Amino acid sequence: MGLDIRIPLGLIFLIIGGIMSVYGVVTRHSAIYEKSLDVNLNLVWGALMLLFGAVMFFVGRRQKWQDDPVTPRPWERSGGTPRH
Amino acid sequence: MGASGAKYGINTSHFYWIGAIPAMIFVGIFMMPFYYGSKARSVPEYLRLRFDEKTRAVNAFTFAFMTVLSSGISMYAMALLIQTLGLFRGIIPDNYIFHVSVFVSAIIVLGYIFLGGLTSAIYNEVLQFFLIVAGFVPLVWIGLRNVGGWQGIKQTLPTTMTHSWRGMAHASTNTLGVEWVGLAMGLGFVLSFGYWCTDFLVIQRAMAADSETSARRVPLIAAIPKMFFPFLVILPGLIAVSVTSHIAPNPAAVVASTSASVPLVDEHPHGIIPLKTNPLNGQPVLDSNGQPVYNYDLAIPVMLLRFFPTGILGLGLTALLASFMSGMAGNVTAFNTVWTYDIYQAYINKRATDAHYLWMGRVATIGGIALSIAAAYAATNFNNIMDALQLVFSFVNAPLFATFLLGMFWKRTTGHGAFTGLVSGTFAALLHHGLTIPADLAPGIHGGWISIIHRYPSEMAQNFWTAIFAFSVNFIVTIAVSLVTKPREESELVGLVYSLTPKPVENHLEWYQKPTTLAAAVFAMLIILNLVFA
Repeated sequence: MGLDIRIPLGLIFLIIGGIMSVYGVVTRHSAIYEKSLDVNLNLVWGALMLLFGAVMFFVGRRQKWQDDPVTPRPWERSGGTPRH
Repeated sequence: MGASGAKYGINTSHFYWIGAIPAMIFVGIFMMPFYYGSKARSVPEYLRLRFDEKTRAVNAFTFAFMTVLSSGISMYAMALLIQTLGLFRGIIPDNYIFHVSVFVSAIIVLGYIFLGGLTSAIYNEVLQFFLIVAGFVPLVWIGLRNVGGWQGIKQTLPTTMTHSWRGMAHASTNTLGVEWVGLAMGLGFVLSFGYWCTDFLVIQRAMAADSETSARRVPLIAAIPKMFFPFLVILPGLIAVSVTSHIAPNPAAVVASTSASVPLVDEHPHGIIPLKTNPLNGQPVLDSNGQPVYNYDLAIPVMLLRFFPTGILGLGLTALLASFMSGMAGNVTAFNTVWTYDIYQAYINKRATDAHYLWMGRVATIGGIALSIAAAYAATNFNNIMDALQLVFSFVNAPLFATFLLGMFWKRTTGHGAFTGLVSGTFAALLHHGLTIPADLAPGIHGGWISIIHRYPSEMAQNFWTAIFAFSVNFIVTIAVSLVTKPREESELVGLVYSLTPKPVENHLEWYQKPTTLAAAVFAMLIILNLVFA
């Protein structure tokens, strides 16, 4: 359980958001956006996802949970010593 | 649920609001200390500690059976959706697409459970949840822009679809066809508490937590997104029925040579929902009055294809598939735990090494997925069998909460009482179903197969009342039998029954860290939401 969930979550959003933003920039003013009422959804939403992914990824990295020893489970704790 | 949003309107939020949140608060505050503190590894194991072996056996076997079937049904629904939308048309031949979808999804789920077990199933569920949100939020945003916001929806749709409590006084004046007593007691009390408080699939996540306080917070924190989830899944359904066909050109051509432009009918609006077609001959399906039937299951897919341009469309479809996949993995992990601990270790091989049980757990994962595939194919061949199985689920699940409630809060409850109550509750459900029938349906799978003594206004009303009867019978029979059988020693029940268990110590927590504070906040939000959309 050592992996902080924010890191894979951040990565997946960085990758998907990145692809969508680049595609959104390339297809500016394209006719495909008639569908979405002339909002460039790829660019707008891709950028938001990129931002969310970046925040998750860097916060997850900074906390370095993955380097901590795994918090002992109740049945692994020896003799009921409090862990705080 | 997007389907129900399109069909019933905002009333569907009851399934989230009163159909889940109160039960989640209850399990977090009152029941989690027993699950976590009893050192049981699964819900059936708790039943063995509290009652006896036979009560556990009933629960373990029915639960194992149900998880496999529900993961099979998710698999079937996903494969059917991929086939209907023609997502891989041109890459994979049409005849094989269903089989490929079933097997590929099975292999993916098998792969990550096999490698990482419950941990990877939980990680995947978190990622899937965020993907679903990321895929559906822009859909709601663009959809609302299109129909002129919430005000626009209100103007287009009848008021019963945009107010969750209006017309609840009588079954004929709301879209669900249920009056408020049946809704509150059947859905809000019996069914939702039966699912959220006793289903191991739900409890397992909290049991994996690292302390009792965390375990109690799990359902409480989960209740918050659960409260807002209706906006993501019900709103697309509501928007789909509000959109009239003149606003944008029809990009849904892939789905629907069938989505004909029909003017908005006031009583049952259908917007861009396509007609249901018979898969064999491609003809639209007609109901008994000769009216065409709309395929509400396609509400969200049709919305995605209509509003999303290339690019984000991929994200939307991923979100849609993620919503099916997450159900599968959870069911499979719950199945392998219950199979290994409560069936294999309890009845087949009692004295093996831990390594052997771990091996058995892996085999159970493969077995569970193989059985899911079998269930998915069974669902393709017999449509009625799926209805019948869902009925069996409701018969087995409905009385269950009474057993837990009495077991946890009344120390006098005995094993014989719990067992007899559970079995007679199931029979009460069966009997009630056999004696009643929803209006306008023929006797048979929908009920009335013994004789008809009562007609319910809708199938949902019948379901809710079946649950109420099953619960009450179980409750009364358990008490009656417990009073005439010998109770267990109180010293054996410490940690299992409320009155004999020391209250959780929370002195080291600040007031805002306590689970009760969180529960109160969640409850307040629930009331506000209900008032806003009343």
